[in-house]
Amino acid sequence: MADKGPHQNYLGMRGWIWAGNYKLERYLYLLHRITGLGLLLFGLFHLTATTIFRVQGQAVWASTIDFLDNPLFRVGEFLVVAAFSYHALNGLRLIIQELGFALGKPVPPIYPFTDAIRRKRAWTLVTLAAIMILAVAFFIDFSIGGWG
Amino acid sequence: MKNTYLQLAQMVTGALVAVLLAIHITVQQSDVVLGLLGIKVAGPTTWGSMMERAHQGSWVGIYISLLAFGLFHALNGFRNILLETNLSASAMRILTGCIIAFGVIFLILGTYAPIALFSSYR
Amino acid sequence: MSSDAVKKITFRVQRFDPEKDRKPHFQEFIVPVKRGTTVLEGLLYIKENLDSSLAFRTSCRMGVCGSCGMLINEYPHLACHTQLEEFHADRLTLKPLPNMPIIKDLVPRLETLFEHHKSVKPYIIRGDNAEMEKPTAGYIQKPHELDEFLQFTYCIKCGLCIAACPTSASDLAFLGPQALGQAYRYCADSRDEGQDQRYQIVEKDHAVWNCHFAAACSEACPKGVDPALAIQLLRKGVAAKALRVKKTTAPALLATSLPQAKPKIDVPEFTVKQK
Ligand code: FES
Repeated sequence: MADKGPHQNYLGMRGWIWAGNYKLERYLYLLHRITGLGLLLFGLFHLTATTIFRVQGQAVWASTIDFLDNPLFRVGEFLVVAAFSYHALNGLRLIIQELGFALGKPVPPIYPFTDAIRRKRAWTLVTLAAIMILAVAFFIDFSIGGWG
Repeated sequence: MKNTYLQLAQMVTGALVAVLLAIHITVQQSDVVLGLLGIKVAGPTTWGSMMERAHQGSWVGIYISLLAFGLFHALNGFRNILLETNLSASAMRILTGCIIAFGVIFLILGTYAPIALFSSYR
Repeated sequence: MSSDAVKKITFRVQRFDPEKDRKPHFQEFIVPVKRGTTVLEGLLYIKENLDSSLAFRTSCRMGVCGSCGMLINEYPHLACHTQLEEFHADRLTLKPLPNMPIIKDLVPRLETLFEHHKSVKPYIIRGDNAEMEKPTAGYIQKPHELDEFLQFTYCIKCGLCIAACPTSASDLAFLGPQALGQAYRYCADSRDEGQDQRYQIVEKDHAVWNCHFAAACSEACPKGVDPALAIQLLRKGVAAKALRVKKTTAPALLATSLPQAKPKIDVPEFTVKQK
């Protein structure tokens, strides 16, 4: 950036996280991105670990499972299934709505203005409710199964 | 229409991964809840239970398709994010090449174990 | 607040002069306001009475020209369309719109917005070139056909949606909600035949598929245009075309029975630098 000339005022990646006081959907977008990246990282780790330790036979496999059976990894695992629930269900909502379905028709802009995604917010809320239910179900499952 | 097909593939693989991963997670994690419903998946992470699945063609199919669709969905999604970080077109081309190579390596790595275990049984 | 009671509000304004400053900084002004005072009136008060060097852009002062977009308390607003009362606060922070360069103080450079707008061919495209050059009549459009895109014609190109968009924040080449919304506006017009041309443009990288439906653009739009809806509907068209399931409708017919159309006016000089 030159010293003189117009100041570049792009928010950059910071703008993904926060750009102002916006409503729910902008943060769902952020969470979708974060859970996606998290699942990618976990997936690569999971894939490498299961492959390397599985092909070495029963003893190595059992000791790996034993090693992973501690509160830290159990909480991590819970976060992964919660993130999956979010990314999957919110993703299904996005597939439907990003192809222009379940959004209704354009309406003439008469004050006070509304927008399609918030006129159809019921879909978003149903999705979020389903995610919450799944997360709670997994939480109960983990709690009964023990955290490590 | 290249981008449109890529994005449609992203959506289709996303939906498939959602279903396949739901099966995978349900079997691996929900032994307690399923037990309450009377379905028994005792100790899904034990060697015996794992080998049992590794020797069933349907499970091998589920694992390999989950791997392929998951890798595509995750790496293409990652590339989409990179595309929005203002990298130059040439940098993006190099990164895309790396991502594809990375995907192929992980696909080979990931299919090796299930196929090796499955064929050892025969 | 009764109609004539005067209250004092502090305006915290971001200043930046490219000739002198290396970085933007803030300056505070005390502005007396009455019921109904708009943010723009407050800024005009500052310019007339407190600091004539303050730069901001305004023209119509009635939410029509799209000049006065700025961040007011971290949210994009048209200054002329926003009354101070709605903030219920004694302090107001004013910044120029983000995701575009600053020319000076509160004045953003809207050049990229106009370039992107221009790039999606925001005009009716027809096969019959002779008719387009020398129109002999109007085209017939039914009210329900108008409803398909009427909402999206209200765009005033103020740039608030771009300030709100997370993709525009990091991706300088992204066409942005404004241009993509206008691409749909023309694709959905029953008089238009340029869909294929526009689909090819919006199908590239940094365009329609880089929207992730955070829908902040629709929330911020001061005219109720709902660009996020337009983009999703545009995607529906692009995807249907790619999958070859798109219904093709014949373009609107000439209203030859109607009285002779007025002669075409000359194209004005470009107001934006040409590449
Ligand atoms: S001055 Fe014209 S929109 Fe505000």
